[in-house]
Amino acid sequence: MFLRLVADSFTRRPRRKILSMAALAMGMAVATAALSVSLDVGDRLAHEFRSLGANLLVTPEADSLPLEIGGVDYRPVNAGAYLPETDLGKLKTIFWRFNIIGFAPILQSPAQLLTAQVMEHPASSDYTDIQLIGTWSDHTVPIPDGTTYMTGIGKTNPWWTVDGRWFHEGQNECVVGTALAKRKGLHTGDKVFLSVEDLSTKVQRFVPHVITGVLSTGSSEEDAVVVSLADAQNLARLPQVYRRLYVSALTKPEDAFGRKDPKTMTPAEFDKWYCSPYISSIALQISQELKGTDVRVIRRVAEGEGNVLRRVRTLLWLVTFVALLAAALAVGASAAASVIERRSEIGLMKALGANSGLVGVILAAEQLLLAFVGGGIGYAVGILLARVLGERIFGFTPEPKLFVLFVILVLAALITLLGSAYPLRRASRYDPAPILRGE
Amino acid sequence: MMTNTPMFWRIIRRLLTANYGRLFVILLALGAGAAVTSALLNLQIDAKKRITGEFRSLGANVVIAPIVYPIERTGGPTLFESLLAELPSQYESHSVPAVAFLYVIGEVAKSGATQFAPAVIAGTKGQGLTEIRPGRRTQYLASLENDPDACEVGAKAAAQFKVQVGDTLQLKNQGREATCKIFAVVGTGGAEDAQIFTTLKTAQALADLPDRISLIQLSVTGTPASVQSFIVSLGKQFPQAEVHGIKQFTEAEGHIYDRISSILTATVFLVLVLTSLCVMAGMSNVAVERKNDVGLMKAIGGSVQKVVHLFLTEAVLLGVAGGVVGSALGLLVSIWLGKAVFGVAAEPRLIVYPVSVALTIITSIASAFPLRRLASVRPASVFRGEE
Repeated sequence: MFLRLVADSFTRRPRRKILSMAALAMGMAVATAALSVSLDVGDRLAHEFRSLGANLLVTPEADSLPLEIGGVDYRPVNAGAYLPETDLGKLKTIFWRFNIIGFAPILQSPAQLLTAQVMEHPASSDYTDIQLIGTWSDHTVPIPDGTTYMTGIGKTNPWWTVDGRWFHEGQNECVVGTALAKRKGLHTGDKVFLSVEDLSTKVQRFVPHVITGVLSTGSSEEDAVVVSLADAQNLARLPQVYRRLYVSALTKPEDAFGRKDPKTMTPAEFDKWYCSPYISSIALQISQELKGTDVRVIRRVAEGEGNVLRRVRTLLWLVTFVALLAAALAVGASAAASVIERRSEIGLMKALGANSGLVGVILAAEQLLLAFVGGGIGYAVGILLARVLGERIFGFTPEPKLFVLFVILVLAALITLLGSAYPLRRASRYDPAPILRGE
Repeated sequence: MMTNTPMFWRIIRRLLTANYGRLFVILLALGAGAAVTSALLNLQIDAKKRITGEFRSLGANVVIAPIVYPIERTGGPTLFESLLAELPSQYESHSVPAVAFLYVIGEVAKSGATQFAPAVIAGTKGQGLTEIRPGRRTQYLASLENDPDACEVGAKAAAQFKVQVGDTLQLKNQGREATCKIFAVVGTGGAEDAQIFTTLKTAQALADLPDRISLIQLSVTGTPASVQSFIVSLGKQFPQAEVHGIKQFTEAEGHIYDRISSILTATVFLVLVLTSLCVMAGMSNVAVERKNDVGLMKAIGGSVQKVVHLFLTEAVLLGVAGGVVGSALGLLVSIWLGKAVFGVAAEPRLIVYPVSVALTIITSIASAFPLRRLASVRPASVFRGEE
């Protein structure tokens, strides 16, 4: 009989129920879409922030002080320490290896350039002093576990754009900065001769390179020539080494805990810190793998990212919260309305002998059924909307999460019950006689 | 109609006050919708502005340099120091931190030590060095900061020369000498870690380049487009120098700003549409219950047009009431939300208020839409209690 009463109220007056359900479904769709977007958006935005480039810089620990102004190191080539290139594969063996989305070693050296026109009989004024930068464009790095990993400067310095194409390794190709290209009238396809002077013997050995593109970076690299790391090592007679390594890692914005000094942590805290992708814990893990290095966090990148991400996350959570609140109020109001309108029905039930408790339970059961059906529909609509949003903004589809469905159903039940609680309580106190008389 | 005007309003009053429970429910739904509309619209406008401010934790994004980039070790091209004073101190009501740098490669040692080692000495002058060059000060001694001979040392340089705050450094370059007292050690992760930041005067004296600077760095707040127009106007103002954005930051900022602002717009739009649909569905639920009223009105001779007129007026009144109160509440909420997210109360923008009230009235009228079906209500069947 109980079930029949509940079922009847749905089948007898479908339009009214459909409207209540629509209100609920819409409210829950807001909640689902907002929740799905907020859950995913942090990770997605963290990826976007990698367009700022590397957030970690690795240099030799026992290095002399760099004399760097505007991105150019004025130390002589033989000063300072270098790091072995063969170790680099180990970067992809650290605990947070999947968070490392790119790295590129740099070997920089002062060098001399001769254009093809003057190569035969160069006058002393034809020698152009340049900075030679050796790095990877698309390099396959062997990883100790037997796999390989492809990375390059484009991942760590995404704002470096080449008009033309990057050099291929082992083919004596190079890329020249726009400022240099303009000054010396160089174009893609031209041949230039590069040499790094041997400081002890004063011998110059010029090696021809074909220009494959013109590089713009917005800073000193526009006055440099970029070649593959192997070419730079050959020219500078420094086999298998590099001086600086840029690493771009996906990180979790540092909170108060992430900022703590690991030395003052308890072992349990340290484990938690070590296993969180904070920039500082990734830096520690890298310095443990690459011996003899000093791994520094590039503060302006890491902190700028952390600040903006934190704000946007809080913002979206608040929007979600406000949306939920509004949906709850509107849905609750609609639930309350549907109870208020049913006074005569309640009067009749009571006149037929139902006590207040039973009336309450029947109406609550109705509302719950409504909540589950409406919540389910709302979830489906919300997931669809979140998908459209995700595709429009990020070009990806957020995974529908079962966790969200659970939250939505509980929420729908809570809201409808809360919304109808007060009118239900009043309704159960109605005196049937005046209601049935229509007063 | 003319003679019926008092009657019309009397009926409206009765419609509204007949059932306080229902009135409350409707106002609650409409008010909640209005509040969320005005809160989110206001927050969205505010947040987009604030996010550009947050980007400034990335540090300088504009550089003024000599036309030829200094690539030679010494004697590179320089600018006049007077340029710094000519820079605008504000842009779009945000202050523009600007710092002039003069770089010298000199010899440095801790006071008392005889072993000198080469290091980059950067003379600085201007407002907001910490905004231009974000980093973390690991040591800091406030009392020394305003000393005319104060200097700040990069973390790597401090380790190299084995110095800490309070110590004195000896600086020399081609026979010229100076000393400075360290008031802070700073770690930035960049080239600055190996540099020593002195006053511009000290660096100029060491380099024997009075009134000259190597470059000026600025941190300009604004959307990518407005930063670009700042760069262009500055370039026109100083034809003797090259003004350019730091590509790494301007490009990434533009990219990220676009993403964030489209997320915000999309989320807010979605929430608004769904919230109004939700309010509408809830209100229609109430409207359908009006069958009895309509039946009675028609039975005593009300035309369909008049009945619809009555209900629409009621909807507008409810919309105005819910909208006026709800939108005001929403604006208050957005001020608080702004504070929660950005630490600064969001500025209430007055344009949001009428927009939000208007949207609420439209929602309310749209919710009365199902009432058109009531035109077909047959009074007799309503009174017989038929569905």
